[in-house]
Amino acid sequence: MNKFSPLCHVDDLENDCTKGFLENENGQDAIFIVKKNGELYGWKNACPHVQGAPMAWRKDQYLNTQKTHLTCFAHGALFDPTTGLCIQGPCLGKTLEKVELFVSSEGIVSFLDLNNKNKES
Amino acid sequence: MKVVGLETIIFGVDDIPSCATFLTDYGLIPVDVTDEGGRFEALDGTGVVLAKTEDPSLPASVGNGCMMRKTIMGVADQQSLDDLYAELSKDRAVETLADGSIESHDDSGFAIGFQISKKKQINLVGEISNLPGSPFQRPVNQLGVDVDAEQIRPISLSHIVYFVPDVKKAEAFYVERLGFRCTDRFEDIGPFLQPSGSLEHHTHFLIGAPPFMQGVEHFTFHFSGPTELMQNGERFIKKGYQAFWGPGRHILGSNWFWYFNSPFACHIEMDADMDLHDKNWTPRVSPMGADASQAFLMRNREKWAPGADTPHNGDYE
Repeated sequence: MNKFSPLCHVDDLENDCTKGFLENENGQDAIFIVKKNGELYGWKNACPHVQGAPMAWRKDQYLNTQKTHLTCFAHGALFDPTTGLCIQGPCLGKTLEKVELFVSSEGIVSFLDLNNKNKES
Repeated sequence: MKVVGLETIIFGVDDIPSCATFLTDYGLIPVDVTDEGGRFEALDGTGVVLAKTEDPSLPASVGNGCMMRKTIMGVADQQSLDDLYAELSKDRAVETLADGSIESHDDSGFAIGFQISKKKQINLVGEISNLPGSPFQRPVNQLGVDVDAEQIRPISLSHIVYFVPDVKKAEAFYVERLGFRCTDRFEDIGPFLQPSGSLEHHTHFLIGAPPFMQGVEHFTFHFSGPTELMQNGERFIKKGYQAFWGPGRHILGSNWFWYFNSPFACHIEMDADMDLHDKNWTPRVSPMGADASQAFLMRNREKWAPGADTPHNGDYE
């Protein structure tokens, strides 16, 4: 069975902010969530320019200063936070890989963890 | 016309405090820094200047979100500055600024400045490896690593790497107009360039790229050696900064490297132990690729040690 892995409570996320999850030992998140106009959007922390390249400039920092766009701080590529489409930068026209999020009635945010396939739930 | 190297890179940014924290955590020393910007220096006085994006005194950005607004190179003497002024004035605007430096643009549109070198002479010795019988060893009882060392400092501004839309034209400007030499080249990518007043493998590296990518790929400072580079990089990661590539050792230039994302829309590198070349050096041409880019590549890991508390499978998955 696929597993829904809990990440945080919906109240842990602030509007116009980003938060990363599933940090590896290099201090890099596997995925991150951006909250925009009260909606949550999940994305893989992997710039489409260089396969798998981490995007933040510091832990949890994925937005430009104006908080209008997700940014890959490798080369400054800008992405629409709701669609993941790159509108400026070396990967112009490409999109971030979406992470499906689920919010329970208790407000627990989880995602479909395909890596946990066949593991005990 | 003797350019001796890079002395300052100027960025226009919106979030001065975050960028200031980033540069300080990297190891640069803040000098007269306020919420409006300021200077961040390596030990020899070379450095980075932060200013507000909208600061009218800054040359325009090349676009594409590039925050780098100007590089300033040092020259040997007033004669070199005068020669550069005369050379560049042949076909472009050159301005003499209040501090005596001159400002113009290269053939890619990047703003460039030249000043009589302000680089401080520092009498530091780079990292030394002990070897029985070697005449070059650390003094007796001097330790090779200090885990309690305070903030590790970059020694000197090293190089900048540009994405340029016309790499031949960009190279010709630095070679034919400014007197740089090509020391090595990545085939179909671009040249490593050394100014005539320096022996360092490169202060500039040019990468051919589509016009919508024009900007900076990275900039970097020299550290005293691989130990301080890796110690500083490991601490940088612990502060939450994000490694992109490294640590490892390049082949062309032999410099140790560790690249990180930065709030400047480009990478920042920590480098150490770059090769020196003079005019007797014959440039190599190397195909681009993983094997040609580095002698070896490593990745940061959490510290662990084998012992009584080690899990039954060690530290391995």
